[in-house]
Amino acid sequence: MPQAIPLPSDLSPATVANTASLLRIIALSLISGAAIASRLFAVINFESIIHEFDPWFNYRATRVLASKGFYEFWNWFDPTAWYPLGRVVGGTVYPGLMATSGVIYYGLRALNLPVDIRNICVLLAPGFSALTAWATYMFTKEMKDESAGLLAAAFIGIVPGYISRSVAGSYDNEAIAIFLLMFTFFCWIKALKLGSALFGTVAAVFYFYMVAAWGGYVFITNMIPLHALVLILMGRFTSRLYVAYSSWYVIGTLASMQVPFVGFQPVSTSEHMAALGVFGLLQIVAFTQLVRSHVSSKQFQDILFVALVSAGVLGVAAFVGLTYKGTIAPWTGRFYSLWDTGYAKKYIPIIASVSEHQPTAWPSFFMDLQFLIFLFPAGVIMCFHQLRDEHVFVIIYAVMASYFAGVMVRLMLTLTPVVCVAAAVAFSSLLDTYLDAHEPEPEASATDSAASVDTGKKPKKEKAATGSALADLVAAATPTKKGDAPKFKGVYGTDTRFMIVMNAIAMLSFFVFHCTWATANAYSSPSVVLASQNQDGSQHIIDDFREAYYWLRQNTPETAVVMSWWDYGYQIAGMADRPTLVDNNTWNNTHIATVGKAMSSSEEVAYPILRKHDVDYVLVIFGGLLGYSGDDINKFLWMVRIAQGVWPEEIQEPNYFTPQGEYRVDSMASNAMKNSLMYKMSYYRFSELFGGGQAVDRVRNQQLPKEGPTLDVLDEAYTTENWIVRIYQVRKEDLLGRDLKSANAFAKGKKRKRSKPASRRRALSAAAST
Amino acid sequence: MLHAKSSLHSPLPAAATIKLDTASFELLTSPTRDWSASIQLTALDPRRRCNPCKEFSPSWNAVAKAWSKTSKQHRDTHFFATLDFDDGQAVFQQLGLASAPVVYAYPAAEGSRSTGKTAPSTYDFSHGFEAGPLAQHLSRHTPIPIPYTAPFDWARWTTTAAGVLANRWTWAVVSILTSLVMTSGYMFTRIRNSPFMGGDGSWIAGGFQNQYGQEVQVISLVYGTLGFAFIMLTLVIPYQSSSQRQRFQVYLWTAVIAMVYSILVVLFKAKNRGYPFRLLL
Repeated sequence: MPQAIPLPSDLSPATVANTASLLRIIALSLISGAAIASRLFAVINFESIIHEFDPWFNYRATRVLASKGFYEFWNWFDPTAWYPLGRVVGGTVYPGLMATSGVIYYGLRALNLPVDIRNICVLLAPGFSALTAWATYMFTKEMKDESAGLLAAAFIGIVPGYISRSVAGSYDNEAIAIFLLMFTFFCWIKALKLGSALFGTVAAVFYFYMVAAWGGYVFITNMIPLHALVLILMGRFTSRLYVAYSSWYVIGTLASMQVPFVGFQPVSTSEHMAALGVFGLLQIVAFTQLVRSHVSSKQFQDILFVALVSAGVLGVAAFVGLTYKGTIAPWTGRFYSLWDTGYAKKYIPIIASVSEHQPTAWPSFFMDLQFLIFLFPAGVIMCFHQLRDEHVFVIIYAVMASYFAGVMVRLMLTLTPVVCVAAAVAFSSLLDTYLDAHEPEPEASATDSAASVDTGKKPKKEKAATGSALADLVAAATPTKKGDAPKFKGVYGTDTRFMIVMNAIAMLSFFVFHCTWATANAYSSPSVVLASQNQDGSQHIIDDFREAYYWLRQNTPETAVVMSWWDYGYQIAGMADRPTLVDNNTWNNTHIATVGKAMSSSEEVAYPILRKHDVDYVLVIFGGLLGYSGDDINKFLWMVRIAQGVWPEEIQEPNYFTPQGEYRVDSMASNAMKNSLMYKMSYYRFSELFGGGQAVDRVRNQQLPKEGPTLDVLDEAYTTENWIVRIYQVRKEDLLGRDLKSANAFAKGKKRKRSKPASRRRALSAAAST
Repeated sequence: MLHAKSSLHSPLPAAATIKLDTASFELLTSPTRDWSASIQLTALDPRRRCNPCKEFSPSWNAVAKAWSKTSKQHRDTHFFATLDFDDGQAVFQQLGLASAPVVYAYPAAEGSRSTGKTAPSTYDFSHGFEAGPLAQHLSRHTPIPIPYTAPFDWARWTTTAAGVLANRWTWAVVSILTSLVMTSGYMFTRIRNSPFMGGDGSWIAGGFQNQYGQEVQVISLVYGTLGFAFIMLTLVIPYQSSSQRQRFQVYLWTAVIAMVYSILVVLFKAKNRGYPFRLLL
């Protein structure tokens, strides 16, 4: 066979194999290095700090674990959260993340390497991303070969879709969960291929770890049964499948029930019923296989029919009956809203209000996956081309995950691994084809068609080329019958190879540039600390959040209860160490609605609520001065909606819009809006900041009235440098028993006008303007 | 006569075709009839071993049944009847029939529908025993065409459907289309009720977290084209036996990738103004 590129021929196969394996190890370690390094932008640009919201709780829990030990953590009741209810942390948390950090912490201490627990928490996600790259390599190796595995590892190492949830400081469950997901899937594929109970057990152990680490374990709980079911329907039931599935399911389910937060859910909720049902089905199928080998085929047909029908009827009847009786819980709202996308907005606004539960527009897909997103379908086609058992898995995973990622932004994270795997299969197939040095024998007919191509007109030529190409595609796609299908030949010439390889290198480099840019600019902000640019381009750090939280920590008694919207609950608990009414755990909708009601009602209505809940301080986030769009006024409608869900007569969303249906904060704003506690706290004394000039809210680009709102039941306690965080102290009841409004008016020297309370403000403003 | 007529058509609602014997045959084909009739002469008794009769009988019944569904006004002017050999040997002898089945169509001899012809015409079985041609032929003798439609062929459909479902490429197309549409933001437009295009006629929505329905189509087309180019390069071109043609295709598809990818980046730049990179465009 002729060669397009000369290759050395005097190497022994052993040398080639050894060199290849050495290169693989080097490549994998470089990939791990790149994966870790690209996640350190956050530390370098800012500092070693915990990011966002949920990580602050994880960090706080980990500190408890590290300082007090595992049993204390397990039994930890936190009286400061959800004041005055408290929270049983040990039983309502996925402890895998904290346990992992705790083990690393104690391990390093045992080696006499005292490392601050914060640094372990900050760097845990980058560290696990290196393991994810390795797990993806192992998984993809099972799909194709080592070279595809290396590409997949490199892709997942730097792809923004995964980096977005795993930069340094993003100390969240997903940080370790994606590694566990990929490794569980790898063990499952391996168990299925080998029919190995050992790998099935390893898969179960990692499944247990996954259950302990992330609520997304339900994805595995349904993916593996779905794969098994599809294999059975395709007529691919084997004893290997039986062994792999049974060992995984039995051990994995028993293990997962040891996590207190999961408990008996695996046998009592709809999310887990698919796994149980497929387990039962596998037993039936295995049993019929056994019977088949012992009875004649006519009898077998009858037995099979009766058995399948009765088993199916019994199973469905049992499922329906138990659901009806309430033993099996129906789908929980969070999972149900994935199928019925309108459900959450209607019935559980608290789930719909979370920004990461929004649907995904296409730019997010391209931002997070770049060129992998269009290699992905090509890779799925290649899986169909071979369609071994493990390829079926990738296909199902691809379809399911792309749907889920479309419905919810945060589920992009589960799509990312399969995109990397499929894209790596496609890309490495391309490279395999064009890097193969062998050249096919030239054929006699080649000269003829060459002549016709040279003389033919251009459009005709193109048509002919694509037309025959389509015919070739069909021929290549249909399973080859001996003789009549075209044979795989290979690539002629060096220029074609050069062309493809150059194109491939260009695309890969563009990918690297894109990933670096996206990571540095979009995904490395801690959101606790904000950055802006000065006139000269240097970085200016906006540190209002920590300023406010430390003020609370230093200036208020330890028992002072702070009320804020639930987004900031974990941060207040973590940084200010003060009790909060609600936090990001969002387990009690009524409690959150209470806070929403207090925020969206007038002072007279809100004050009793504040007092009844022992609230000492109220904290609001206001971005109007700086143009920080994630502030409470922008989240305000969700507070109204959630409160409306519980008190539909008292709070109505339309009242907060102008009659024209606009959401305004300027002088045109509706009365309910202007009187709401949230509005007053946000804009209290805001206009004074502009001297005599026009006060402008830079988020909503609206001009505010000169006369700002007044507050009777709250005192301004602290406002940060850029006005992002404003803290108000709740006044105690008046000592003389007056209501606070009249007491306030009296203090300002105004007479109480019981009959016409509305005119008071007019009188006040008249006094102010004179 | 009237009495005879009413006694004749009374069994019609129960059975679409009248069972005749020698006497009723004579009555039905009476020379003073103001009605027309289609008569099947057959031998269905198993002892007669007439296989064609058995084959033909279902088609006859189907056509007769179709006729029985027409309105009463038309139904009572044309009758379907069956004479079995065992019930009317005399008729067979009289007509000189030595084989069965035979179909006679008797036109009306009197009344408004009379054409002057009284002799029956014979149905030619050269079209086979199918119901379709039979209905077509007999419609020439009925006041309105027989409303016969071939029944739905479930067996063939099931086989075809099973073949389609068992084909992996059916599933491949479904899976690929699903993931292309989903990754182009289809669910976003569904959940947010995005319009198909902007009010001012623009088809691309401003802003990173927003999109119109038309963008789903454009973007999935772009992704699909790029993915297809890779499939061509990997799975098709290496099977090409002519080196010149292969070279041409390699260049063609590489150019397609470069161009479409550049367009994609331009589109992305339109959504994300801060994006610093660009390709050819």
